[in-house]
Amino acid sequence: MPELPWHRRHSWRAGGAAAAALVLTLASACGEPPGEEPDAEGEPAGLAEDPQFVWAVTGADRQIHEDVARLWNENNPDQEVEVFFLAPTADEQRQAMFQDLQSQAGEFDVLGLDVIWTGEFADFGYIESLEDLRPEIEGVSLEGAVDSSQWQQELYALPYSSNGAFLYYRTDLIDEPPTTWDELYETGTAAAEEEGISAYVGQGDQYEGFVVNYLEMFWSAGGELFDDAQENSTFLEGDAAQTALDFMTEGQESGFFAEGFDSMVEDDARALFQAGEAVYMRNWPYAVPLLEGEEGEDSEVAGDFAVAPLPTFTGEGTTSALGGLNNAVSTLSENQDLAREFVLWAATDPEAQAVLAGHSLPPTMLSAYDEADDPNLELLGEILADAHARPPVPGYNSLSLVIQDNLHPAFLGQQDADSALEAVDNAAGDALEQD
Amino acid sequence: MGRVFLAPSLGFMALIALFPVFYAVGMSLYNIRGFQQEFIGGDNYVRALTDPNFWNAAKNTLVFTVASVSLEFVIGMAFALIMHQVFVGRGLTRAVILVPWVIPTAVAAQVWRYMFDHNPGFVNAVLGTEINWLRDPAWAMVGIISADVWKTAPFVALLLLAGLQTIPKDYYEAAKVDGANALQRFWLITLPLLRPAIVVALLFRTVDALRMFDFAYVFAGYSNSVATLSVYAQRFLVAEPQLGYANALSTVTFVIVMLVGLAFISRMGRHMVGDVARKEKR
Repeated sequence: MPELPWHRRHSWRAGGAAAAALVLTLASACGEPPGEEPDAEGEPAGLAEDPQFVWAVTGADRQIHEDVARLWNENNPDQEVEVFFLAPTADEQRQAMFQDLQSQAGEFDVLGLDVIWTGEFADFGYIESLEDLRPEIEGVSLEGAVDSSQWQQELYALPYSSNGAFLYYRTDLIDEPPTTWDELYETGTAAAEEEGISAYVGQGDQYEGFVVNYLEMFWSAGGELFDDAQENSTFLEGDAAQTALDFMTEGQESGFFAEGFDSMVEDDARALFQAGEAVYMRNWPYAVPLLEGEEGEDSEVAGDFAVAPLPTFTGEGTTSALGGLNNAVSTLSENQDLAREFVLWAATDPEAQAVLAGHSLPPTMLSAYDEADDPNLELLGEILADAHARPPVPGYNSLSLVIQDNLHPAFLGQQDADSALEAVDNAAGDALEQD
Repeated sequence: MGRVFLAPSLGFMALIALFPVFYAVGMSLYNIRGFQQEFIGGDNYVRALTDPNFWNAAKNTLVFTVASVSLEFVIGMAFALIMHQVFVGRGLTRAVILVPWVIPTAVAAQVWRYMFDHNPGFVNAVLGTEINWLRDPAWAMVGIISADVWKTAPFVALLLLAGLQTIPKDYYEAAKVDGANALQRFWLITLPLLRPAIVVALLFRTVDALRMFDFAYVFAGYSNSVATLSVYAQRFLVAEPQLGYANALSTVTFVIVMLVGLAFISRMGRHMVGDVARKEKR
């Protein structure tokens, strides 16, 4: 039987993963990393009466993915999809999908992957090549979203949802949004001093959000992490890495960043801005309805804020890191044809993409922005057209951890800047290697 | 005959307790990337022992263990002595003192993290300081240790209190008659007779501290600043999935915990058992 070795390897790995987990459990006091809303994850959503395949997707923005699945099920009553909601945090999502694949359980047919995971999953042999579907999305989807769906020039996923950064600013304090970081610094500091509030809030905690905030400054200073062929690190070419780090260090020292910036995540920043405590904020579009005081929120800044593209160091254009999800087809799926059909539909069906836009989750289809009558969505379309995909190389997560481990202390003045930048450059090189 | 009857349960124990350990050791000899795996012998162990981040994690674990266990012991002992004196409402006192220990560590860690955070910045406000508790490695360690001491000192106190109550009061009365002062009574009667309880408390706490995960992870994620051995192993199981290396790291952690545990039992435990044996001979 030709499948025998496969099966033997299967049990070995399944046992191995379980064994590692068990030893770790033995070796770790009594805990798992804390998850949010334990009830909301790890369960099929029960949207289909007779599901034919399973879509594993993040439990954050649950309602949106449910609505997309419902739309599919209405149109394809014989080929219903079951949504399996994973944890809302990225690490736990990855772990759940890895476990499904590594143990060869193969329960998930479609995998909703964060834009930075494509290289890793492709390199591990976990997802199918979708290269033959390239013509269907090229020119239809955002370029950055397509970039983030490929590894080594081969397409392994199809775009689904996107995300880009807004610069939020107080229209009662600032007349014109700044186009350079220096201008932002000066106007922000002046207004903050006058009002007795903070100048700038963003994502300064030591996590992926910090990496995103740093990379946006790095890119906007003309930096690139890798050369075009994705063979070498170009992190230290030019002075972009230094420029971005200097700006952050100075912002921290001079009090330009709000107090507690170094432990702030998205919602911490949003809460401060919403309470009228900051002049500028870097955040994702999700904050707009909340700041406007919709959905039962109290907002001190309703009507007194607007959004603009993030500035750059040169004053030209804008640079945002690209967020979002791509859908991939699991190698282990027994319903690959159906899964491919669904993935393509989610990427290219105007109705499906409109569901996202209706919930303020940025779609990846270009046409969704062309017909936009919402000025914020239109602006987002412009921002996303210039957005940078974080490189979906196999070692991206390791690279991100090294950036967090070195640049974060350096920005706080706890570590020498040169050695921190050097460490990131080395890690960027390592992230490309596949052994 | 007894052995024959015991054999099935021993075998079952070995299967569920030891089998996963050997499995993990087996996996640690492979380089595993997705569906591919390759036998690489001890390379993962060589990598661990030459990995500065591993040694950093080992150092963090050691600092945490020594500091938290000694503080917990001293504070727990003080608690126990106080509770031993109080007779009115002792049951209630004991219940109250155990509350921190009952709270799940992950929850407690989250609460402490919020207290140390800048917003709302409770600890800094109370102390009148401007310390970056979460992001300055030394202070983050201080924060983690205080949180752990808060949580576990009561548990140590309870173990020691149980021991205190087994010491007959006659000894103290006799010592008083002989003119021993309070310090002498504590040093010559309480401490030696409390030894079994002390050994148990220290053993539990040390082994627990060596595999500490929750506080470090909640305070600083996978950041090297306060990562312990467990956090570092978890990093390669989840954040940078390299199952072979993760298994090597958890095996090393397991071996360290086991060696320390055995050392405890053989050094302090044998004395204890020896004392009992000597007494029985008499």
